[in-house]
Amino acid sequence: MTRQRNHLIATWIIGILCLALLLVGCTNQAGQPQTSKTGEKSLTYTIADSVGDWGFPSPWGHYQRGPGYVRLSLIFDTLIWKNAQGLIPALASEWDYEQSTKTYTFKLRDDVYWHDGQKLTVQDVVFTFEYLKEHPYPWVDLKNIKNVETEGDRVKIILNTDFAPFLTNVAATLPIIPKHIWEGVQEPEKYTEPLAAVGSGPFMYTDYNKEHGTYFFKANENYYGGQVLIQELKFVKVNPQMVAAALTKGEVDAGSIQPEMVEQLKDKYTVLSESGSANVKLMFNHKKDPLARKEFRQAIAYALDREDLVAKAQRGHGVPGSPWLYVADNKWHSPDAQQYEYNPSKTQELLTKLGYKLEAAQDGEENSFWVKNGQQVKLELLCEASQIRIAEVLKEQLAKVGLNIEIKSVESKTRDARILAWDFDLALNSHGGLASDPNLLNKFILADDFNSARYSANEQLVNLLRRQSRAMDEAERKTIVQEIQKIYAEEVPAFTLYYPNSYWAHNGKMPLFYTNEGIAIGVPIPLNKMSFVEIE
Amino acid sequence: MKQREKLFTYVATLLFIIILNFLLPRLMPGDPFLAIYGEEAALTLSAETKQELIAQMSLDKPLWIQFGAYLHSLFRGDLGYSYALNAPVSSVIAGVLPWSALLVGSALILSTLLGFVLGVESGWRKGSRSEKLILFSIIGISGLPSFLIGVIFLLFFAAQLDWFPLGGALTPYSDFTGLTLLQDILKHLFLPAMALSLTQLSEILLLTRASMLTNLSSPYVHTAAAKGLKPLGIRYRHAGRNSLLPVSARLGVSVGSALAGSLFIEIVFAYPGMGDLLHQALLNRDYPLLQGIFLTIAVTIILANFLADKIAWRIDPRMREE
Repeated sequence: MTRQRNHLIATWIIGILCLALLLVGCTNQAGQPQTSKTGEKSLTYTIADSVGDWGFPSPWGHYQRGPGYVRLSLIFDTLIWKNAQGLIPALASEWDYEQSTKTYTFKLRDDVYWHDGQKLTVQDVVFTFEYLKEHPYPWVDLKNIKNVETEGDRVKIILNTDFAPFLTNVAATLPIIPKHIWEGVQEPEKYTEPLAAVGSGPFMYTDYNKEHGTYFFKANENYYGGQVLIQELKFVKVNPQMVAAALTKGEVDAGSIQPEMVEQLKDKYTVLSESGSANVKLMFNHKKDPLARKEFRQAIAYALDREDLVAKAQRGHGVPGSPWLYVADNKWHSPDAQQYEYNPSKTQELLTKLGYKLEAAQDGEENSFWVKNGQQVKLELLCEASQIRIAEVLKEQLAKVGLNIEIKSVESKTRDARILAWDFDLALNSHGGLASDPNLLNKFILADDFNSARYSANEQLVNLLRRQSRAMDEAERKTIVQEIQKIYAEEVPAFTLYYPNSYWAHNGKMPLFYTNEGIAIGVPIPLNKMSFVEIE
Repeated sequence: MKQREKLFTYVATLLFIIILNFLLPRLMPGDPFLAIYGEEAALTLSAETKQELIAQMSLDKPLWIQFGAYLHSLFRGDLGYSYALNAPVSSVIAGVLPWSALLVGSALILSTLLGFVLGVESGWRKGSRSEKLILFSIIGISGLPSFLIGVIFLLFFAAQLDWFPLGGALTPYSDFTGLTLLQDILKHLFLPAMALSLTQLSEILLLTRASMLTNLSSPYVHTAAAKGLKPLGIRYRHAGRNSLLPVSARLGVSVGSALAGSLFIEIVFAYPGMGDLLHQALLNRDYPLLQGIFLTIAVTIILANFLADKIAWRIDPRMREE
């Protein structure tokens, strides 16, 4: 009896498996879905993403990182926007600033409709500012806004103090939301109905799937800014190693690729590369000796061969660091700041001046070392596990000039906590956000944050940093920003080692480009919505 | 008595895991609030919400009261809130669980069936050239890490030959329904399930083969042969069936190792299961989600072992006699 039953079960299982295999076999010919092949006719554009899920595309639903904002920006428009060159009109056709009253005036277009058909008015703009005061949106800081008023088709935004980054960091970042949908919403972060994604941008929300990490948007036929060049836009999740294969198979039209794939793809596809928005930097503990002396920090800077580091740690896919934070081709960079070209003899000179003596190596030791007051100079280099390779190269380079480094690898949270508590000598740190408005200088020099050098020892530097955000004239601001970089390079409160490259490949169907100073507050992703819109 | 002891072991293990899961973030250096909620929380939460959460988790109270609060929320199915994903951990895990179950389940069925058949055959053909070939190839393949098999499969069968998709669990935004949808899901399942089952295969093969060898020299097999039964019947119905016993008893352990293997496979195939989620949680340092996933995996493995014990006890009379 049991034997028969077992038999039956076994037969069933084998039967089901055979059926499954058969089904799989059949699908090879017939089941190739037309939608995944991006044919010219369907005008579907598919973008590969290795993470997939970046949250629901509403201001409070998306995850607080660049790709989350980019998905949002395709649906929601802002007062103004940026393209590859700079600021361009969006919901507002013109804008100006009156310095005496500290007032920005934006003239709204009168042909803008929400995706649900309602007209977009100045009331929506005012509502957005009011709603965000109650429900902060982490991407935009509204503290400096005193009041928002309307005057016919114009919106007047009155500031407390002059604020040069306003246009990019607020006007070109803040998504305008429809009053008629959001006014009754108490908990915006929990509101993820399709209505929460009604915007005024070139694309309309159709679907988002958290588990599969996919998004599906349809073109907004009534987009005020011009005709949308595609009918459907999809984001799909693809393993980063498979993006090249997915491009070749025609399953996707664009995607971020790994540096190793550049050679393989560059002949057949358009490869876009970006560097300068992220950096890897060496933090100094300038609160204690010996690194409290700027000459000591300079001595280390001269001993570091950044070209060699890029070659060894990045296999060449990076740009050697600039000691003034900005990458050299950035329009804000200071051309006459200190360069710190690799020069070990300069290190010797500086250390000798500080009273250190180079002692010859004893038997069994490879390198000579520096001594002061009978004490050998020994520094600890704090890093996280993924940075070991960089740390090893630095150790090797510094050993050549007689500086003894001990590498200490810890979990990244521990590293951040120790940097914040000044419990380190040298530390490796990496962060992005360098390709945006110069206000970033304050964030990475003064702010009390583990990504920041937290350097306020130079009064002139602090004053200039305070002044830069209030300089409303761009030429004046540029002069200040360049002066800041010169002092920063001279003081070396931290030292940029290199800017890693990042790459995107696409099939040229849409003219993808990198936005000037990044999308909104500085997202270095070449998915600007204007790539998909035909400008009249 | 024996059963009761076993049950006790399971409960003790479960409790140990819960305690460990509770203690780990609190033992981490720095602010336990940040360790539990992640840095994302520090960015997005207001000071009041933070105080509210601290009070709710009793983070300002002694450890044993915190543990009480932790157990209390655990029993209500509350695994915490992922601030990185802006969703309750339990719902995030519930979303990927079916896909993980599908992948691990089908891989287990595949590896058990294949491993059993190959084990029986290699036991039967002991010493022959074909046995050596089976053993050599399967053990060789199983020695490779699962993600490597996955990548090779993807490159060859998906990228080169274009027989299978490059990843995911289904074609996003296709108009498939019913049978075509099932086809699509199976097509996406095939490569990851195959890759995963290959890594699990050798264990089942060796186990079946070993007990097959013992069984083949048993008197009842000789009797069956003397009765003139066909070799196929002896092989599978008599010796083979009895060789299944150790395999079924090991099923619990197999679930554990298959789950561990699936973590890598899912990342390679961008398959929306627990492994892929764990990977993202690690990258985000999303501690609430990490903890939730660890707990779910640990409980699943304990449950699987418990069930396997039960099954072995049911189908093997000798275990009951002990």
